[in-house]
Amino acid sequence: MGCGVSKSNHFHKTHGKKALRAAVLIQRWYRQYVARLEMRRRYTWHIFQSVEYSGEQAQIKLHNFLCYLMDNFTPASNERNLISHIFRDNEVCRDPEWERYFCYKNIEVPELYSGPHLIFPLTMDQAIGLVDAFRNKKQLHSRYLLQLLLETWKQIRMLPNINRISTCHSKEITICGDLHGQLEDLLLIFYKNGMPSLEKPYLFNGDFVDRGKDSIEILIIMFSFLLVYPGEVYLNRGNHEDHIVNLRYGFTKEVLTKYKMHGKRILKLLQKIFSWLPLATTIDHKVLVLHGGISDTTDLGLLARVDRHHYVSALRPPKNRPKSVAEMSIDSDVSRDLFHNKRRNSVTYPKSLVSRDSFQNRSLQDFSKIKGEDELDTQSVCSPRRDRAEKGCADSVSLESINCEEEWKQILDLLWSDPMSKDGCVPNEVRGGGCYWGPDVTEDFLNKHNLQLLIRSHECKQEGYEFCHNRKVLTLFSASNYYDVGSNRGAYVKLGPDLVPYVIQYQANSMTRKLTVRQSVRQTEGSAIKVLREQLFSHKSDLICAFKKFDSENTGLCFVSVNDWACAVEGVMSLGLPWRVMRSQLVKCKTNDSMIDYNEWFHELAIKGSSADHIDQSLLETLYRHQATLETIFRIVDLDNSGFITMKDFVQTWRLLSSFLKLEITDQAIADLAIDIDQNNDGSIDIEEFMEAFRLTDKKSRLERGRSMFMGTATDLTKLEGDPNI
Amino acid sequence: MAPKKDPKAAVKKAEPAKPAAAAAAPAPAPEPAAPPAAPAVDLAAVKIEFTPDQMEDYKEAFGLFDRVGDAKVAFSQIADIMRALGQNPTNKEVTKLLGNPSADDMHAKRVDFEGFLPMLQTIMNSPNKAQFEDYVEGLRVFDKEGNGTVMGAELRIVLSTLGEKMNEMEVDALMAGQEDENGCINYEAFVKHIMSV
Repeated sequence: MGCGVSKSNHFHKTHGKKALRAAVLIQRWYRQYVARLEMRRRYTWHIFQSVEYSGEQAQIKLHNFLCYLMDNFTPASNERNLISHIFRDNEVCRDPEWERYFCYKNIEVPELYSGPHLIFPLTMDQAIGLVDAFRNKKQLHSRYLLQLLLETWKQIRMLPNINRISTCHSKEITICGDLHGQLEDLLLIFYKNGMPSLEKPYLFNGDFVDRGKDSIEILIIMFSFLLVYPGEVYLNRGNHEDHIVNLRYGFTKEVLTKYKMHGKRILKLLQKIFSWLPLATTIDHKVLVLHGGISDTTDLGLLARVDRHHYVSALRPPKNRPKSVAEMSIDSDVSRDLFHNKRRNSVTYPKSLVSRDSFQNRSLQDFSKIKGEDELDTQSVCSPRRDRAEKGCADSVSLESINCEEEWKQILDLLWSDPMSKDGCVPNEVRGGGCYWGPDVTEDFLNKHNLQLLIRSHECKQEGYEFCHNRKVLTLFSASNYYDVGSNRGAYVKLGPDLVPYVIQYQANSMTRKLTVRQSVRQTEGSAIKVLREQLFSHKSDLICAFKKFDSENTGLCFVSVNDWACAVEGVMSLGLPWRVMRSQLVKCKTNDSMIDYNEWFHELAIKGSSADHIDQSLLETLYRHQATLETIFRIVDLDNSGFITMKDFVQTWRLLSSFLKLEITDQAIADLAIDIDQNNDGSIDIEEFMEAFRLTDKKSRLERGRSMFMGTATDLTKLEGDPNI
Repeated sequence: MAPKKDPKAAVKKAEPAKPAAAAAAPAPAPEPAAPPAAPAVDLAAVKIEFTPDQMEDYKEAFGLFDRVGDAKVAFSQIADIMRALGQNPTNKEVTKLLGNPSADDMHAKRVDFEGFLPMLQTIMNSPNKAQFEDYVEGLRVFDKEGNGTVMGAELRIVLSTLGEKMNEMEVDALMAGQEDENGCINYEAFVKHIMSV
């Protein structure tokens, strides 16, 4: 390029001033382009986050509703019977019974099976073999899976609530954050960093499952390495290691789909294993690693002492369980049928969510209020390990209950909390569980426990990691492209004896690395906007109501000013999104610059081509909005996990949903819907087909898959409760 | 890949195709080609002429850039917010508006929306508005053969050595996918493409 360069120099000298002006112009304009791109990226990110957290809130509300049902409907009621089984704890209580229930020995492995065979005790070669097998899309046979899970359970039962690791012998520990079933990311980490071994300890910080499609494979890999290197592989529990959460977010479905025959048993065993996962890990007594975070009441001493396996699901407040001495075994989590004791029935609906800053909203903590001692007329013992079986007086019983509640709150905080930039500690009403904690709480906590750093996960970050609170808190997220292709990097951390975190980033899928920033922002934004538009459409009636309120002169014309439009939309959707900034993407039609014809707008938003044009409109809206809730209920109702439910149960499910939402859905409308779907008239409905029939977009992006999680925001559910017109 | 000591350095090195102006990273400090400093602008004297609607729009955008939650943004973000709102100031212009703060001040000092408005107004009032044609003209300067194309390599040199210099990453991001097999860029198409963000 030699003569090219000197030609340029000559050129520049002769056109000096002009060239300079041109250069400045281009640079300015480039920087504008980048800034606008950045803004789009930011609001796209906001959309994803709102969608994700709304979905979590909706799940909690659904769960609360189910609890309410359990508490308040008579045992004979149809609705209650549909769902009671998920509240029945493991019926098997003693260890030999467990082994029998989960016996894998009579499961035959057919000759045609081409997946990996496991021989216990596992060796390193077998663990590596599993990784290879999954890389080649093989599936582990249920026989080996059950055996693996049994061995894992035996192993982790022995672990303390808080793991203690040391970095002696110059070992560097590799710490990974949320993986959410994204096997590609785990394989990438192993590729870059090497697999777990005696020289390479690993710590996985929760949320291994849900959302991604290979959750079970990730668990298998982790558990295998745990068995091979019990001193070098550490697992912390995340908020998704919870069977109730799994019902909604895909893990349950994944297991039942991949393991049609034994899926149910596998899930039950996993339920147990999840409850036995340690809650946190310390490194050299100086660095604390846990999944969610802390609160101003977090007490590591208490957490070290709880019986963690009693908290099978963090979403369920602790029950008071009657136990006789004879039934106590070290890990029994038996419970009589809930209605044998008088139960507290103070479960009430949470108040409506106002904004992220308000803490008017109830969170899960409120649901465990104990009514009074006189309600507890049986002995109940929280912890069989403590020798309290003899005590019968109400005082100690209620003390036990309070202790249970306190323990539960501690665990909830650990698994669900998020950091915030302001000082203080407030309930995390966006998620519905745990807290938001501030830098002062971090400071106090670290000082109190003589720690120097808190590593946590739980929140997706664009770079895969983020420091906050004066670099005392590190968020680590290992699922790249979490919201959509190109949305974010993943990261893992290496921690050596100096306890300085080294962060390594990556992004799975080489395609994304090749996309320019602009292309990847465009693509991700496209998905987000598409979902948002659908959501807006599915709230059409509420929005029209809100718009009409601005028509104070009753003109009957369907115009609304931009200002009013933005107000109304935020009022109905409650997502805290920058509607004005996104306006041009959301509203393609416009009357003039300052007014929007909303009828025109809804036509533009209308979901086209769905198979349900003749179905009652309001029913359809309900369906779009509450798709995930509906699907969750279906899966609960589908007792034998066949993927089919009877017509009768289908109708019952809708009744359940309509009582939950306080909607008027006539039996006729439901019947119409059912007949429409039961195409082969055999009296049963294929759940997948039903959901597909109303699915509106293709399934390409994760957000669109996750779109169904969003539908039916918690807000519109709670709004219904407060609205006297419904 | 060997782990890097400083996570911040790791961010910069990890993937090349990232624009440097992401998050709160400021654009590189301006290097005035002309002699410096007219007196600082008196912001208090600026009359705000925005409509309420416009102010709502700007407030929303402003909020998007507030990463701390105190309803303010850092000095270093001001130029970007203005650009996001469709303005096109040079870094020099913005620095002057801010009273020529030090590099530390750029990161540490913050301004709220009320303080931001007169700055935005000043920039909007300034006569230096460039249109599509101006950009095309700007690039035409480097079209040595007058055939509607510029050499990618030459553009790189110009952009990284003249005016408000761009760094290598920024230049890479700008040029990504633009050069044909001969290393040439059709600049009219280029401008159209970039302006369609």
